[in-house]
Amino acid sequence: MSATVLHTEVGVSDEKQAAAKSAGRRFGALVVRLGAIAAFAAIMAYFVIFAPGFTSTFNLINVVEQSAILGVLAYGMTAVIIGGGSDVTEGGIDLSIAANMGLCAAVYATLLSMGYGDFLSVMAAIAVGMAVGALNALAVVGLGILPLLATLAVLNVAAGMELTLTQNTVVGASSPLLGVLVSGSFFGISALAWALIVFSAVMIVVVHGTSFGLRLYAVGGHPEAARAAGISVPFYVSFTYVLSGFCAAVASILTVSRLSASTPGSGELLLSVLAAALLGTVFSRRFVPTMGGTLLSVLFIGLLANGFQLLNVSSYWVNGVQGALILLVVAITSFARGSEGSR
Amino acid sequence: MSVSANDNASKASMRGFLAKYSVLIAFAAIVIFFSVASPTFLTPANLFNVLVNNVVMLAIVALGLTIVISSGGIDLSVGVSVDMASMIFVMLLAAGYSGVVGVAGGLGAALIVGILNAILITRLNISPFLATLGVLFIGQSTQQLATSGGQPIYLTSGYAADQFNAIARTALFGIPTPVIVLIVLAVVVHLLLHRSVFGRYVQAMGAQPGVAWYSGIRVPRELSMVHVLCALLAGVTGILLSATVKSYVPLSGNAFLLDAIGATFIGTTLSRERKPSVIGTLLGVLLLAIVKNGLLLVGWNFYWQQVGIGVLVFLVLAASFGLRRAAH
Repeated sequence: MSATVLHTEVGVSDEKQAAAKSAGRRFGALVVRLGAIAAFAAIMAYFVIFAPGFTSTFNLINVVEQSAILGVLAYGMTAVIIGGGSDVTEGGIDLSIAANMGLCAAVYATLLSMGYGDFLSVMAAIAVGMAVGALNALAVVGLGILPLLATLAVLNVAAGMELTLTQNTVVGASSPLLGVLVSGSFFGISALAWALIVFSAVMIVVVHGTSFGLRLYAVGGHPEAARAAGISVPFYVSFTYVLSGFCAAVASILTVSRLSASTPGSGELLLSVLAAALLGTVFSRRFVPTMGGTLLSVLFIGLLANGFQLLNVSSYWVNGVQGALILLVVAITSFARGSEGSR
Repeated sequence: MSVSANDNASKASMRGFLAKYSVLIAFAAIVIFFSVASPTFLTPANLFNVLVNNVVMLAIVALGLTIVISSGGIDLSVGVSVDMASMIFVMLLAAGYSGVVGVAGGLGAALIVGILNAILITRLNISPFLATLGVLFIGQSTQQLATSGGQPIYLTSGYAADQFNAIARTALFGIPTPVIVLIVLAVVVHLLLHRSVFGRYVQAMGAQPGVAWYSGIRVPRELSMVHVLCALLAGVTGILLSATVKSYVPLSGNAFLLDAIGATFIGTTLSRERKPSVIGTLLGVLLLAIVKNGLLLVGWNFYWQQVGIGVLVFLVLAASFGLRRAAH
């Protein structure tokens, strides 16, 4: 789409040579990308053949449901990485997103158990999530603290506040909204699955189909150029952190509905969220983070865990295989990118 | 308006001064605050306790991360190195091997993690963030598979086990042995990073990777060395950890990761170019440890302590980064 056009301009000195090279490069990149997708497809094919019940509608919807929470969080992370650039230490990253979700879930469940209605509790959870996001934005944009550090400090604050609020216990919750999310279904697809579908559609359209999304990529890709073009870089970067907080709040409502409670330990999701957002870059032509790519990698991680479960493989293997796959995919990717001389 | 310009300049230099020393100022203020607030804070027994239990292990991991971050990379798998060293060390001792074999095995396990990171980063060109994230996942699985899902391994009293536990709890010339280990390692890493050719290469790679390569630095070799050193240092922490608690608890090493990253970056605020340094890192570790200990002594709720530490780190970073920005 239009966003990728912006990213095809590489600093070129010798145009002829570059043209010839870039043709070969493009071919190599294409082969690699298709190869990575083929590897995913091969794993899926294996599950289809050998895992009993893998392709049943029930199972597939189950996977989508399970992926909803990870997916919503990964969108927030992806937005931050797009807007902040993907540099290792200086680029955009939101380490606080999983802890923020835990805090929002605690706020939501606590308010419900105190007898406040759905509307007020949901609003409070979203307000808290966006406030944490705004704190990140203040630290990164306003004070110029490295995102890695700023969000690390906020992670501690959010995780500590969750513990203070819940005293490290499970806070049970039930409400009409949670009831609908758990058992409601429309057109044969459950409400949780719908939540992921609708959220994905909105994110993909906003980031890849609007001029807003295009500017976001510009800000992350080359901040100085974006500023010279009249884009307010601070606004866009701040926006991604607040959006990430919003995603954490939405995910918190989904997780409370799935578990009928807010539970400690949501911070452990952080690494999976990072993995999903970073793995998603393989699905883009220029190896940049995209919402669609993130969706695919979230579903892939979900299907992987599910397939292992159906094959009766110990769940202890899932992390390791996930890690090995990330390495494999990224190694192939960087092999293709290596010819661009980016490293 | 020359007066006001002069005034502004002196204000700016004042801000620059504050930005540079904000960590030290915060550190001093915190020490004074806790000394007044808690009568036990400044006692030798308490400081001994802080050093042995809160500083040493975190500091050794943070030293490793200081080298990696100086080279412009990151190592998310330090927890795996800690755990693997701890696991192999405890398993060997539990199987009746001597302490020397245990230590060698533990460090060997950490070495393997480091070499794996090095291969992924230098041979396969994976970015350090992703490479070490992948190793972290694989390391977690390995531990779960090796311990049937995360069962701790306890060292029942054997000769070597007791001996090691004793080492962890004894003192030499009045200084606790683990603290001596830390001091030795800190001096070695300081010399390596700030006084040796290797250190200059590492700094060059961190500042300008492309230029470092064009200048003839063998980036892959030096970078491999960086990651192996980091893993080995984390391995030392793993051995100290299991010698202290006489057990191996799976996946416990990850607790060091975020604190060590935080400490290293707090340390970078000491230098104008935001370079990590051994002294800065140690100061960062001390700051975190003293706040943790002080909040405990003042009687803060355990859960509030994490909020307190988060807020404090945030404020120190905000002061340092914000004032510096204003000074420019």
